[in-house]
Amino acid sequence: MSDLLIFAIAFAVLAALTMIRLAKGPTAADRMVAGDAADTLICVALVLFSLFSGRGIYLDIALVAALFGVIDTMLVGRYLEKEGGKEK
Amino acid sequence: MQKAKFPAIAATFVLCFLFWILLDFSFKIEELIAGAVVSLLVALFSARFLVHEKAGWFFNPVHLFSAVFFWCGTFLVELVKANVDMAKRCFGGCKNINPGIVKVPVDLKSDYGQAALANSITLTPGTITMETTEEDGQNYFYIHWIDVTAPSGKEAGDAIKGTLEKGLRRVWE
Amino acid sequence: MIVRIIADVLIAIGAIFALAGTIGILKMPDTFSRMQASTCIPTLGMLGAMLGALLIAIFVKADAGAAVKIAVIGLMILVTNPLGSHAIAKGAYKAGVRPEKKMETDDLGRDLYD
Repeated sequence: MSDLLIFAIAFAVLAALTMIRLAKGPTAADRMVAGDAADTLICVALVLFSLFSGRGIYLDIALVAALFGVIDTMLVGRYLEKEGGKEK
Repeated sequence: MQKAKFPAIAATFVLCFLFWILLDFSFKIEELIAGAVVSLLVALFSARFLVHEKAGWFFNPVHLFSAVFFWCGTFLVELVKANVDMAKRCFGGCKNINPGIVKVPVDLKSDYGQAALANSITLTPGTITMETTEEDGQNYFYIHWIDVTAPSGKEAGDAIKGTLEKGLRRVWE
Repeated sequence: MIVRIIADVLIAIGAIFALAGTIGILKMPDTFSRMQASTCIPTLGMLGAMLGALLIAIFVKADAGAAVKIAVIGLMILVTNPLGSHAIAKGAYKAGVRPEKKMETDDLGRDLYD
């Protein structure tokens, strides 16, 4: 079963790599794209780790992360549409 | 704000109740009754935001089957092709890109059909729908395209969404 | 045993496409191209990993609840991701983000803004 753990760690490492763009990105849209990608990757890593450890609670956390991941993205998108021209 | 019709409330109720069963996943009679009450309340309050036209569409087996066939067949093939193309560009050093925004005419008429087409285009790597407009009866999409090979108009539209639109027209019209 | 091998291959395919998307996010030259590259992650990267996890949950664990939940997580990400991506692209364009290199054609700027 340890192959699942290896894949989960690989996805988590990819999520950590997108944090570089989140810290560096020149505009707010860059940071939000990196955050969205990290959210999806963390979701996949949680599902794989739940299958590895056999505990169902991680699946619920992944479900909630998948549901609310889109809401913050849309909020930032709406904010940029209305106000973003003023600050860079 | 218009009043919610009965089919809209029924469709929202069924979706909410399925989601309750998914989260709970126990089939005791008390929990099912509690779920039915909660989803009826949610449906009464929020149906008018969710469903606007033809609420019974979802429960027609012919439509459902053709929609499943479209998203599991035609769309999946296009998705895999576009993904392999984008992965080649990424592993090749992200140099051979040629981005631009093109304006493309759309023939689908209904709101749901246009929303499904726009989301399918956005989900394919390499194209993002940015804005929709209507000019004298003809609908247009503004699409950001990673590799512009044709100028705006019908030619670019065939290259981006030819097969997708053909499949979606069979589902919605 | 054969199911485990198929599932591992599927998850590995997903990891490869997720790696492609991450490289695209880190190295693409402008904002909209980074957005395009990041679409690789929630489509085929997520789909491959979720299909592998679904196979394991059904055939190895024999756990119906976990299988349904995994399927719904995958479907939810697939349905809701284009909404956020569309909102970010439109918002970034309206906020004045433009690529450094001139775009090939820019009909949106010509017709609606500027």
